[in-house]
Amino acid sequence: MGLLIPEKKIEQLIDENGIRTDGRKVDEIRNFKCAVGVLENAEGSAYVEHGGNKIYAAVYGPREVHPRHMARSDRGILKIYYRMSTFSVFERKSPAPNRREQEISMVLRTALEPMLFLEIYPNSAIEVFVEVVAADGGTRCASATAVALALADAGIPMRDLVTGVAVGLCNEQICLDLNDFEDKAGDADIPCGWVVQQKKIALLQFDGKMTPDQIMQAFEYSLKGATEIYAAQQVALREKYEAIRDIVNPPGSVQRDDDEDEGGDQPYSQQPRDEQRTPAPEGQEGGQPEDQPGEPDGSQPDDQGGDLE
Amino acid sequence: MSEVEKVVSSIEKKYINELLKDGKRLDGRGPWEYRPISIEAGLIPKAEGSCDVRLGKSRVIAGVKYDVGSPFGDTPDEGVCTLMAEFVPMASPLFESGPPDESAIELARVVDRGIRHGDCINYEKLCIKQGKSVYILFDDLYIIDYTGNLIDCASIAALVALINTKLPGAQWNDEKGDAEWNGEYWVAPIEELPLTNTFVKIGDTICVDPSLEEELIADCRLSVCTNSAGLVCSMQKGGSGLFSLDEVYMCMNKAIEIGNELREQLNLWQYRKEI
Repeated sequence: MGLLIPEKKIEQLIDENGIRTDGRKVDEIRNFKCAVGVLENAEGSAYVEHGGNKIYAAVYGPREVHPRHMARSDRGILKIYYRMSTFSVFERKSPAPNRREQEISMVLRTALEPMLFLEIYPNSAIEVFVEVVAADGGTRCASATAVALALADAGIPMRDLVTGVAVGLCNEQICLDLNDFEDKAGDADIPCGWVVQQKKIALLQFDGKMTPDQIMQAFEYSLKGATEIYAAQQVALREKYEAIRDIVNPPGSVQRDDDEDEGGDQPYSQQPRDEQRTPAPEGQEGGQPEDQPGEPDGSQPDDQGGDLE
Repeated sequence: MSEVEKVVSSIEKKYINELLKDGKRLDGRGPWEYRPISIEAGLIPKAEGSCDVRLGKSRVIAGVKYDVGSPFGDTPDEGVCTLMAEFVPMASPLFESGPPDESAIELARVVDRGIRHGDCINYEKLCIKQGKSVYILFDDLYIIDYTGNLIDCASIAALVALINTKLPGAQWNDEKGDAEWNGEYWVAPIEELPLTNTFVKIGDTICVDPSLEEELIADCRLSVCTNSAGLVCSMQKGGSGLFSLDEVYMCMNKAIEIGNELREQLNLWQYRKEI
């Protein structure tokens, strides 16, 4: 048994001009593309293309926990299943789940758990299925990015997204977002998952030899890359709802103009803080639920009448 | 909240049934009409051949990988092609994670038999050295969206992934006693286009390419694989209902007719890779 052509290996990962095997500079990320709502049945789904990685993530739940004994009466549980397709890698992977996949599933879970409010889903499970259909180095980081998008797409309340990008050491130089060759032949690899706005780390692993100072510098590279990907994640989430808005509220209608005044097309993080969340005056908070049931009853007939005319 | 089990209401069931009696269907199709089929081939760089096939909103991603190994004892001059299907739980709330269950195994076997008996692959061309060394092809199917009729969607995906397959050429090295690369590439020896058409029987009516609702309320199912020579290559009956012989005869003839239409419409040879 064996392959006719061995897997290609590259010794020199960076040339004398500081250019890497795929034409990037040391602090550049690979091409990144993402979309949400890509699958029909899942309650939330995302597709991420990060370099040569092609990854789907799908969310089901909150739903009943199987097996039952895993249920927690005080909070919900998050289950992540990271899997690679047999044909995603150079040498066919066995279809059975292996230890690496189980570990990455766990690492992804611990990265995403702090983003969720699991205490509001007692006795339930939120299940996320990740399928790597093409792998090109850094699949766990790209998976973290995809899982965060799919959870957000499913409408599950989140504190923030998680954005993954690896950084490593190739030929003695720190390189952002390692590709497959660099991942395998490089001297060190640090997969990072960022909560970009807080500049905090949700996923962290490390293999190789580096000094603490080098690693801190590597984090700087990684955060810069994650910031770019985070912006793309936000655009993908917005695009889906803008498409819905365009159907519900066609361009040119009054309400749409109002929307644009408020939000514009700025990323969420760049909007002034106080406009973003106006805290409701203390007294109103208790009163709102009482007011709301009355409101739709009163206003809807008018709205509908207007539409019919 | 997700539905753990998909249930079709008796009102919907009755409605589908009555529409079918008039030759109509819930989604506006005629009884012998397929949902739209779209194919993207060659999307996975590390697979020898690959495709993403959508039949309506059912979706299968297929990839072919190769290995070089010993032939089976009873076919020393033939290569091997094995099929695997995985119902990825992302495809439907009805699927659970774990090893392939009986329906995933049935799916892979039905598609496999269609390809094996439809003279699709020239297995002799996959032989490198008689009795010693042959190509082994792994055609793996991942179901990532399920809205009915996975068998037909998977049969197209398995076939297109094979058509799309480009292999390194091999020669036998007597000194080493092993196969080695001859420096060239070739396309996998695909010679026929067997396609599977699945019919369901709902009450007394029969239609092709069932949607999820139709599949769930069907009494029984018949998958018929045909090739371009107008021959039936494999069949599989599923579901706990009964078919009359007339119905089976009609399904076979319809399958030959629809199979030929699909072969013409899809023009599957276009997915062959350039060498």
